[in-house]
Amino acid sequence: MATARTPVTVGKRELSLSNLDKVLFPRDGYTKGDLIAYYRGVAPWLLPHLRDCPLTLQRYPDGINGPSFFEKHLPKGLPDWVARTSLSSPEGTRAKTTYMLCNDEATLTFVANLASIVLHVWTSRVETIEEPDYVFFDLDPGERCTIKTLASVALEVRDLLASIGLTTLVKTSGGMGLHVVVPLAEGYTYDAAKMFAEIVAHRLAHEDGARISLERSLAKRDQSAVYFDFLQVGRGKTIVSAFSVRARDGAPVSTPLAWDEVEAFARKRAGVPADVFAAFNIKTTPKRLERDGDLWAGKAWKKQRLEPAIAKAQKAWA
Amino acid sequence: MAHAIWSGAINFGLVTIPVKLFTAVRTDELSFNMLHAKDEGRIKYERICSVDGKPVPWDEIVKGYEYEKGQYVILTDEDFKKVNPEATQSVDILEFVDLDTINPMFFDKPYYLEPSKQGKHAYALLREALTESNKVAIARVVIRTKEYIAAVKPIGEALVLELMHWAEEIVEESTLELPGKEKLPEAEMKMARMLIDTMSVQSFEPEKFKNKYHDELMAMIEARAQGKELPKAKKAAAPRSKVVNLMDVLAQSLEESKKRRAGSNGHAASNDKPEKKPTTTRRKKSAA
Repeated sequence: MATARTPVTVGKRELSLSNLDKVLFPRDGYTKGDLIAYYRGVAPWLLPHLRDCPLTLQRYPDGINGPSFFEKHLPKGLPDWVARTSLSSPEGTRAKTTYMLCNDEATLTFVANLASIVLHVWTSRVETIEEPDYVFFDLDPGERCTIKTLASVALEVRDLLASIGLTTLVKTSGGMGLHVVVPLAEGYTYDAAKMFAEIVAHRLAHEDGARISLERSLAKRDQSAVYFDFLQVGRGKTIVSAFSVRARDGAPVSTPLAWDEVEAFARKRAGVPADVFAAFNIKTTPKRLERDGDLWAGKAWKKQRLEPAIAKAQKAWA
Repeated sequence: MAHAIWSGAINFGLVTIPVKLFTAVRTDELSFNMLHAKDEGRIKYERICSVDGKPVPWDEIVKGYEYEKGQYVILTDEDFKKVNPEATQSVDILEFVDLDTINPMFFDKPYYLEPSKQGKHAYALLREALTESNKVAIARVVIRTKEYIAAVKPIGEALVLELMHWAEEIVEESTLELPGKEKLPEAEMKMARMLIDTMSVQSFEPEKFKNKYHDELMAMIEARAQGKELPKAKKAAAPRSKVVNLMDVLAQSLEESKKRRAGSNGHAASNDKPEKKPTTTRRKKSAA
């Protein structure tokens, strides 16, 4: 099959892009060229989230309705100049796995050209790979859960953590859910982060068992509640990066939100999360970034120590 | 005793020993059926064609080997028959080797060999000769339609046929990152030897080691079958107290790691040695 090649220079790198007209999002008609243009356009905001984090690609060679696969190892044809790191596997075996890192726009362009719609990253960076940058909670609404319930639960998470002195940040997952994170100071291991996540989860379920479920089995879960997934914290586990596109109609983007936006969602009478979050997509996100910048960057990203929070929690929740 | 898996003969040189093959290892794993939680109906599997979405009867199913993504070579029963080794019903001894020269990883699955009446004498002869010379026989054997290499070893009064892996089935250790044979400090070696000495026993006693998981699961099944309720697992404490416990554990572990960090910093400062992870020069993490 003839492949249409398009040479392009990104920074000091020469790349040869292929099949830019290939449609990846059939309902919306977005092509691979559109995906690459989006990723290059948001690179200044996206790259700080990817820098030095082992990267897993989720590739959709035939578009979002075709099969996809996860690429954890180095993709075929990866240029020599792309940064990479060799890590022992999470199971503690001696075998090592080499992961790619996406530290510049040229690499991002190469990655997008592989039809890597979704970018999954570790929550720690190479130099301090055993220490996560943040604790991450995935709020996953059930089928019959409204935007109002989901947003209210997210606010509950924010308030609970605020009550022990911790600041939280929130973003859309790009799908149906919300991601809430607690930025950490240096020096906390994955084990500590995991334990902290578990404490928060059980406290939340204790306070609001009606709307917050910790049930892992989808079948047993109340579909009108929010599944509070605290199990995604751990070495080798990944999160969909902020500003990563998702493989859904409309090409939605995982987008950092301001808490007052979530408050507005909590006042909505009707609506399902997926429809509401679809407004954050590859067409709207670049404009939002130009206007407001990255809501997770700069001073908003407050690295926090856990000891005082735990001390408060020991008093308040005992 | 159980049924023989097969009966045939050990051949070597001009000698033939008629034998039967018996399983020597049984797996102790409990097996479960999948049931529909609602009505305990057994879950049935259906073979569905991925092209037309309909169930496919057995007589319409063929075997295909995917030699390239989405490209299959179809093989029929006839084809398999053509390459199947002849079911010779024999253990053909090819050579003898010292037992110690075989990497134990090559041994896969043991079977007992039992001689028929007229084979008893030759069987005993082979067994004694092997024991005396500390050798095992390497043999070729066909079980059902598959050919194997195997070792014939004397164990107690029995000859055991142990199926072996083919060379290409063993994963090379060179795929791992292992420490080489470097020179190790004598003091550390001494410590290690001492530790081994104090933990050494006369001989391996497999009875000492119990499959706890199996036993507890079986006890649970028996109790439930008799309609008794089981004592609640210890783990299932109230979530509230779980949170409290976890908080204590985390608080303590953070305290300890803090002390450790403080300790190692002080050490580095007084000793002037470069530390592995200097906290002061750690690159600033940007917002994730």
